[in-house]
Amino acid sequence: MRAGCRGKPALKKHRMNHPLSSFAARLRAEIARPPAAPGLPPFPELALELFALQFQHNAAYRRICEARGVTPSGVLHWTQIPAVPAAAFKELELTSLAPEERTAVFHSSGTTGQTPGRHFHGPESLALYEASLWSGFESNVTGHSGAGSAASRLLILTPPPAQVPHSSLVHMFETVRRKRGGASLPARPPEYFGNTTAAGVWTMDFEAIVEALSEKADGASSPPQLLLGTAFSFVHLVDYLAEKNRQFVLPPGSRVMETGGYKNRSRTMPKSQLHALLTDRLGIPPENILCEYGMSELSSQAYDTPGAHSERLFHFPPWARVQILSPETGREVGVGETGLVRVFDLANVFSVAAVQTEDLALRHPDGFSLMGRAPLAEPRGCSLLTI
Amino acid sequence: MNLPNYFLADLPPEAVLSPAMIAEACQALKRNREQYLASRSTESLVKTLSRVADEWLLEENPFRQMALRLGPEQTGFSRETLARGLDQFFGQLTRDHFHALLVQELGDVKRLDALCSTPEEQRHRRGSIANAPEFQVHIAAGTLPNPVWTSMVFGLLTRSAQFVKCASGASLLPRLFAHSLYEADPKLGACLEVAEWRGGAAALESALFAEADCVTATGSDETLAAVRALLPVRTRFLGYGHRVSFGFIAGEDLYGASAKKIIARAADDVVAWNQLGCLSPHVLYVQQGGAVSPEQFAAQLAEELERREQSEPRGPLPAETAAAIALRRGIYEVRAAHSPETTQHWCSPGSTAWTVVYEMDTRFQMSCLNRFIYVKAVADLTAALQGADPIRGKVSTVGIAVPEDRAAEIATQLARWGATRICPLGQMQRPPLTWRHDGRPALGDLVTWTDWEQL
Repeated sequence: MRAGCRGKPALKKHRMNHPLSSFAARLRAEIARPPAAPGLPPFPELALELFALQFQHNAAYRRICEARGVTPSGVLHWTQIPAVPAAAFKELELTSLAPEERTAVFHSSGTTGQTPGRHFHGPESLALYEASLWSGFESNVTGHSGAGSAASRLLILTPPPAQVPHSSLVHMFETVRRKRGGASLPARPPEYFGNTTAAGVWTMDFEAIVEALSEKADGASSPPQLLLGTAFSFVHLVDYLAEKNRQFVLPPGSRVMETGGYKNRSRTMPKSQLHALLTDRLGIPPENILCEYGMSELSSQAYDTPGAHSERLFHFPPWARVQILSPETGREVGVGETGLVRVFDLANVFSVAAVQTEDLALRHPDGFSLMGRAPLAEPRGCSLLTI
Repeated sequence: MNLPNYFLADLPPEAVLSPAMIAEACQALKRNREQYLASRSTESLVKTLSRVADEWLLEENPFRQMALRLGPEQTGFSRETLARGLDQFFGQLTRDHFHALLVQELGDVKRLDALCSTPEEQRHRRGSIANAPEFQVHIAAGTLPNPVWTSMVFGLLTRSAQFVKCASGASLLPRLFAHSLYEADPKLGACLEVAEWRGGAAALESALFAEADCVTATGSDETLAAVRALLPVRTRFLGYGHRVSFGFIAGEDLYGASAKKIIARAADDVVAWNQLGCLSPHVLYVQQGGAVSPEQFAAQLAEELERREQSEPRGPLPAETAAAIALRRGIYEVRAAHSPETTQHWCSPGSTAWTVVYEMDTRFQMSCLNRFIYVKAVADLTAALQGADPIRGKVSTVGIAVPEDRAAEIATQLARWGATRICPLGQMQRPPLTWRHDGRPALGDLVTWTDWEQL
C-alpha cells in the first residue's frame, strides 16, 4: 500500500518523443476527454500496446516476463500479461525511468524496519497520476457538477506533503487541494490537521479539527465540509469525539472520503461500524461516506459506489481493470467467490501496469468488495521474526 | 454410525453452554473418577488404552472410519493424510511403550499404584509414590489432534478426571477418541468430558478453571498468557507455546540411492499433517559438497512432493491460506528471475499443493506451511545454526540425516545449541510416547510425589 513525494527539482528533460511519453500523453488526453469526443482504442488494445512498451523499456519487468516465458508476441489478450507482485516494488526498481529522470518516489507503508516498496515518478508520470486521481475524485467524491465543491471546506486528516514527501496518498490529497484552488487562496484556514512525530508516526490535532468542525457547523448557510483521511485516522477521530462527548451535524453536502486498512495503528473496527459512528458523530449520511482503494504501486484508484443491486462495490475508472484471481489456481474466480485482486492500470505507464496486490476480494457481477489482506504474505526479515 | 450423546461436544450446534452446565459436568467427572478411576491399576489402564489404540489401527474400526469420512471436511486434512496420522499416533500406544514411558518418567511401572523403590532408592531406604491431580483440563489448539490425544492418554494413565476444551469447530478427532474410550470402557469414558467453544468465553472458562487442579494448553503465547491469567494461583499450568523445527542433511550421504531415501524422508516430514505441527520442518538445511547439491536436492524434493500429492493429496485450503502461498511464491518467482544463482523455486502446477524454495541465504525463514518448504544451502552444521540463530530457544525438533559415525557429535552440538528433540529425518512428526514435549517431562509435570523415608 502507500505511505509518503519527494521534491527533487523537476527535470526539464524532454521525453515526448519517447513512445512511453507519447502513450502517457494520449492517456492523459483520454482521461480529460469530454464523453462525446472521439477517444482512444478500447482498453484491451491499449493494454497490449503498453505491455509491449514496458517489456521493451522496463528491464526489471522484462526479466520477470522472460523467466515466465512470456513475450509481447505471445500475448493475445490483456489478461495474459504478467503481473508483478506489489511486494516486488520493495526489491526491484520497477521503472523505465533512468535515475536522473526520477523526481519523486512514493513508498508503500510496510512494516517498520522493512524496505518499503518504491514507485518512482517523473514529471510525466506524476502528471498522469494527478490526472487519473483527480478524475476519479471528481466523479466519485465531489460529483461532476462541482456544485459546492469549490466552496466546501477541506479538512485533511493526514500530515501535509512537506512532512511526508513519500506518501502517494498525501500527494493525492495535495493534488485535490490544489485543483480545488487551495494554492491560489493563501488566506484559507489550515487544511491539513495531521502531523508526524520524530519517530514518523502520524498524529492529528484533534482540538483544531473540533474547532474547524464547530466553526462551520452553525447554520444552514455554512459551506459543506469535505473530510479526507485514512480509515485509521477516522477511527481515532470518532474515538476522540466520543471521549469528549462531541457531536456535529455538518452542513448538507458534507462528505467523508476514507481509504486504506487500519495497519495496526488503531483498534480494528468493521467498516460498517466506522461509517455508523461517522454518521452519528458528524451527521454525515452513509451515502456521503466514500471509500477509496488505492496503493502507492498504482496510479489509479477504485471507489465504492452503489452497484446495480444498491450495495456498494469498488470500481476502477475505465483505464484500469481488475481481476479477482483464485489463489489456488491463478484463474479468475466466479461471481460470488473470493480471490486476490489484480489491477491492470494503464496510468502506470512508466512502472508496470499489471500489479498483483495482496488484497482479497469478493467478485460481484459489477465490481468487487474487499475482504481484507492475505495473512503473512511476505517472508519476514529475521529481525521481525515472531513465532 | 451416529455418535451417542455422551459429551457436551455431541450436543447439537444450537445448544448453548452455560457456566452452570460446565460446573455440573466438572462435579460429575470428579464423582465418576472417585468411583471408577481412582483405584484402577496402571496395568489395567495400559491394557485398555493399548486395546483401544489397536482397534483404531483397523480399517473396519467405526471411529477410524468416521474420522476418515468426516475428517477431510472438518479438519482440512485429506483422508490419506489423516490415515497416516492415525496410524502413526495409535501405533505408538503399545504396552511396551507405556512401560518405557512409566520407567522413564517415574522410575518404575508401578509408581502410580503403590509406594515402591528403584534399586538405588532401596539402597538409601527410600520409597515413593506418584499421585496425579484429581482433575485435569486440556485447552486444545485447533490444528493437530496429537497434542490433545496425548494429553488425554496421559490424563487417563495418571487417573485424572479430564475436561477437554476444543477450539470451535475442532472437536471431531478428540471427540471420536473419547467415544472410542467410552465404548471400550464406559466407566473410563464417564471420567472424560469433551466440549467446544470459541476461546475467550470468560464465564465458561472461569467455571471450568475454578474446578481444575491442572490445566494443559497448547497455542500461541497470547493464548497461553490469557489462560494463565484466568487460573487460580494454586492450579498447575502446563503451557506449550509455538515452536518451530528444521532439518539438517549432511553432504556425505547425498549420492545415488542414499540421496533418494533421504529425499523421500524429507518429503515424509513435509507431507505429515500438511506440515502444520510444531514438529514439522520450515527449513531443510542441506550441506554443500555432496554428490547431490542442495539445489538438486530441492529439485528432487519437488518431484517427490508431486508424487506424494498423487498418493496423499494435501486437500483444499481456505482462500486466505492459499493466498499467502500464492503471494509468497510470487515474491520468489521475482527473485528467481533476477538472481537464479541464489534463488530457485518449484511449484505444483495449477494449485498451491506444494512449493519448494531453494535459497543460498542461510537465514531461517518461517514457511507459510501446507507443504511449502525452504531448502537452504549451508557449508556445515555451524553455518546452519548461525542461520537459525533468530529462532534459538524456540526450536522443538531438528530432523537429521547424517553419517552414523558423526551422529553423536552432531546431536551434542544441537543439544548444546538448544534443540529439545533430535530425530532422524522422516520422523519429525512421529515423536515416541516417551517424547518430552518442549524438553519438559512427559508425566513428571503432572504428578506430585509422596516420599517415604524408612528407618
